[in-house]
Amino acid sequence: MRLWAIIKKEFFHILRDPRSLGIIVLMPLLMVLIFGYAINLNLKNIPIAVVDNDHSADSRRLIHAFSRSGYFEVRAYPANAADFEALFRAGKIKGGLTIPRGFATSIVTQLETPVQIIVDGSDGNVGQTILQYSEAILMDFSARITPQQMQMPIEMRPRFWYNETLQSANFIVPGLVAVILMMISALLTSITIAREKETGTLEQLLAAPVHPVEIIVGKVVPYIALALLDGLIIIGAGLLIFDVPFRGSAVVLLMGTLIYLYPCLALGLLISTLSRTQQVAMMQALIITILPSVMLSGFIFPIASMPKLHQFISSVIPATYYLRIIRGVLLKGADAASLAPQALGLLVLGTVLLGLAVKQFKVKID
Amino acid sequence: MLKHLLIKEFKQVFRQREMVAIIFLVPVIQLLILGYAINLDVKHVRLGIFDEDRTALSRRIVDTFDASGYFDLVPTENENSASLLDAGQADIVLKIPRDFERDIGRGKAAELAVITDAQNSNTAGIAAAYTQELLRNFWEGEVNRKLRAQPALRNRLHRLALRSQAYYNPELVSVYYMVPGIVVILLTVMTTLLTALGIVREKEIGTLEQLMVTPISKFHFIAGKTVPFIIIAFIELAVALLVGTLWFGIPFRGSLWLLAGTASLFLLTTLGVGLFISTISNTQQQALFFAWFFMVFGMLMSGFFTPIENMPQAFQFLTYLNPLRYFMVIIRAVFLKDSSAGDLSGEIFALALFGIVIFSLALLRFRKRIA
Amino acid sequence: MSGTANNYAVEARDLTRRFGNFTAVDRITIAVRRGEVFGFLGANGAGKTTAIRMFCGLLKPTSGEGRVAGLDIMRESEKIKRRIGYMSQKFSLYDDLKVKENLHFFGGVYGLPDGELQTRLKESLARFNLESVEHEMTERLPPGWKQRLALGCALMHDPEIIFLDEPTGGVDPVARRHFWDIIHGLAAAGKTVFVTTHYMDEAEYCDRISIMHRGRLIALDTPANLKKKMQKATVQDLFVDLIRSEDTA
Ligand SMILES: Nc1ncnc2c1ncn2[C@@H]1O[C@H](COP(=O)(O)OP(=O)(O)OP(=O)(O)O)[C@@H](O)[C@H]1O
Ligand SMILES: [Mg+2]
Repeated sequence: MRLWAIIKKEFFHILRDPRSLGIIVLMPLLMVLIFGYAINLNLKNIPIAVVDNDHSADSRRLIHAFSRSGYFEVRAYPANAADFEALFRAGKIKGGLTIPRGFATSIVTQLETPVQIIVDGSDGNVGQTILQYSEAILMDFSARITPQQMQMPIEMRPRFWYNETLQSANFIVPGLVAVILMMISALLTSITIAREKETGTLEQLLAAPVHPVEIIVGKVVPYIALALLDGLIIIGAGLLIFDVPFRGSAVVLLMGTLIYLYPCLALGLLISTLSRTQQVAMMQALIITILPSVMLSGFIFPIASMPKLHQFISSVIPATYYLRIIRGVLLKGADAASLAPQALGLLVLGTVLLGLAVKQFKVKID
Repeated sequence: MLKHLLIKEFKQVFRQREMVAIIFLVPVIQLLILGYAINLDVKHVRLGIFDEDRTALSRRIVDTFDASGYFDLVPTENENSASLLDAGQADIVLKIPRDFERDIGRGKAAELAVITDAQNSNTAGIAAAYTQELLRNFWEGEVNRKLRAQPALRNRLHRLALRSQAYYNPELVSVYYMVPGIVVILLTVMTTLLTALGIVREKEIGTLEQLMVTPISKFHFIAGKTVPFIIIAFIELAVALLVGTLWFGIPFRGSLWLLAGTASLFLLTTLGVGLFISTISNTQQQALFFAWFFMVFGMLMSGFFTPIENMPQAFQFLTYLNPLRYFMVIIRAVFLKDSSAGDLSGEIFALALFGIVIFSLALLRFRKRIA
Repeated sequence: MSGTANNYAVEARDLTRRFGNFTAVDRITIAVRRGEVFGFLGANGAGKTTAIRMFCGLLKPTSGEGRVAGLDIMRESEKIKRRIGYMSQKFSLYDDLKVKENLHFFGGVYGLPDGELQTRLKESLARFNLESVEHEMTERLPPGWKQRLALGCALMHDPEIIFLDEPTGGVDPVARRHFWDIIHGLAAAGKTVFVTTHYMDEAEYCDRISIMHRGRLIALDTPANLKKKMQKATVQDLFVDLIRSEDTA
């Protein structure tokens, strides 16, 4: 069968270049290992400086509350808040806490006692997070200095579903699967057609009585297998090493992953038909996938907080949908029905991209 | 001889219209899109409230959350907390139990259940804390209302108030720190990949063999392969500076010379990595994958997405091997903080060291021979 | 060897190159006179390209010695590069440069001064009949033209010794004839031409030929002498016969 011949040829290409094959299999594994540990969204050990103008037992208690929280690490005790500036400029601290003179008296006589936190706005993401975590510490402290009969009678029982222990890895590792798969499959396929164009073998193929669609399908099938293998490796590593829960059905995840590969590979194909040389194809594939798939897909940055335009762009990135699928299956135990809209989104995206690729391919050979 | 290498390289780049677009247009577009308001802020948290008490007090709680501007209330008729969260229609669910008002009236502690979708541990923690804070504010409001007549008692209510201030970027505008960061990433992608692919491509086509029998020295060859990209990178940096300051209105407070100098050091590292990759790859595909790994590593471990301090110790050490880490700090510091070379001496030294080491490694490995 | 160095353009004694435990070139000894057209024959994989690459300084020999233009190929390969021209088997030009730009570039990297570069450029365009396409993109040239251009590029710096690795593959007979006219012109001007080929009629045009087989040199003489010795009418017959007898031996 002609299609089979093309598929076999493409497999040989992959298998006969052991270095590439090694890279394709090992790199994702290495990436999960590194990033699974390294990307941690929970604030930890952020360096701060403290100016304590009160030197009382209470002010020390507050400082202790900051350092004991695990979020902050007090690196310096400068004499006054003006010294923060130099520490910021040298990048030694990210935030500065100032406890006012008379703090100990104020907290038993005044309604409100101001505590100042200065953050380095040049790294505003951290700055913002520092403020949020500080707020929580102050609130906790407030509750402790309120006399018993004035305590809030409302007791909040917070419960965290799907990620009970608030592990960052449970969020990040499934995200890595989505991002790495998208990049690797788009990269792999983007090279294929461009390479045949460059070496002149495309002409050879087109001269054979094969339909362009057969060529395209034949070229893509091996990469589906390869990408799927990568997916399994990453997911497997995530489950084994990072103890990411697997609450849903493996079949649903496998189906979802297969569907996800469709728009990813189609994107790679589209890029390769648009490029005359491998170099151009690779540059395009990298540039198009690397930043948007990390920044706009919800991998790290919450989509809900983005401006409308960006939310729209995020809806044409395949990783956006797959992130919901894989996190849904692993963490929430979501079933097929509830993930159907995401799968549909992927199918629509894939079909549009593939349609464009086939059209472009036909234009080129006519 | 170098002149001819440079002319050739420029012609090859500029004759490909797609390449020109990729090098000059795409980065600007990405900067314009990605520079905006993409951040870790937790906003528009979707909150479902199940008010089983349906009293004046419980309704006031609902109103407090509604008015906070922080939560988007989602309808809860015909739903339960599991169905809302499972379907992803809400991020957080608040349950006000029956007899809530009555219990409080009797001085009994009333329990509120707050269930958070914690897939994202960070946003979940922040949203839960914010819920708690709103509740506390609400309670103090209630107490204040009731105690207006009894100032003596009122004086016994105490709290700490956060007075926050942000240096260099008082409004914590995200473009101020995102745009410089994205510039670093774009520069890395361009220079590493162009250098690596440029050389490996000549290997693949066979022109490299032809060049190796000419008397050009390997230094000339390498200069010919890197200088064009240094120039292109500086043009990109200049364009990015213009876009950043004129379009996004980011203040540039530091020294242009310091930025240019440190950028040169940074380019030494990325070009060095590109060169090094070209010496360990036989095909463009291999080069692409090595470059890809370096870029993803560089990007995610640079402190751009998450603070390096959050990482386990061993992985923090790993980031010392990442040139992006240093330039990320430098470019933001020069832009916004007017940091001096002295302030940044550690980063500058690390960049220089990394650049020299990787460049030397590449030079050592680069042979004017085939095997 | 050193005493006779100046009389020979290319010399090798027991030159050997191994890749792992596979011996691609096995103790070959040759001496090519100045002004000679030296043919290098052999089946695919015989080791011809490997030998040429060692002469050009692209590969280090595993053992043995070699001299090109009197210079040692182990230690003086960079000096050798100024004096030789090389057209590789997978000869390559920059497809995305124009014809004229390719010539200009290669002249440039050999360090020709601007004035000389311009005159050589004009000469080469004329000599290789490339004037009509000087502003064409190289990509669009037919193979025969590309080959002429490749030779032109390899000759821009007027080298005294020229290594041509299968320069006429895929070229039509008329163009091949023209190509050989140029080669003989070079020899007449005192250049040494070291050429590999799979066309046996081309072997007849050489002053001397050598035949390689599995890395070893199995014959070396003028075509006429070889034919006489083997009692064959053509080089073609003698080549096939030699290889066959080697394979059965
Ligand atoms: N870098 C290398 N590593 C391993 N083996 C090699 C290498 N280069 C060449 N060879 C092997 O050495 C042998 C001789 O190759 P070479 O290219 O010199 O042959 P050739 O005579 O030029 O053949 P052809 O007529 O096909 O051009 C071949 O078997 C080849 O596979
Ligand atoms: Mg050969």
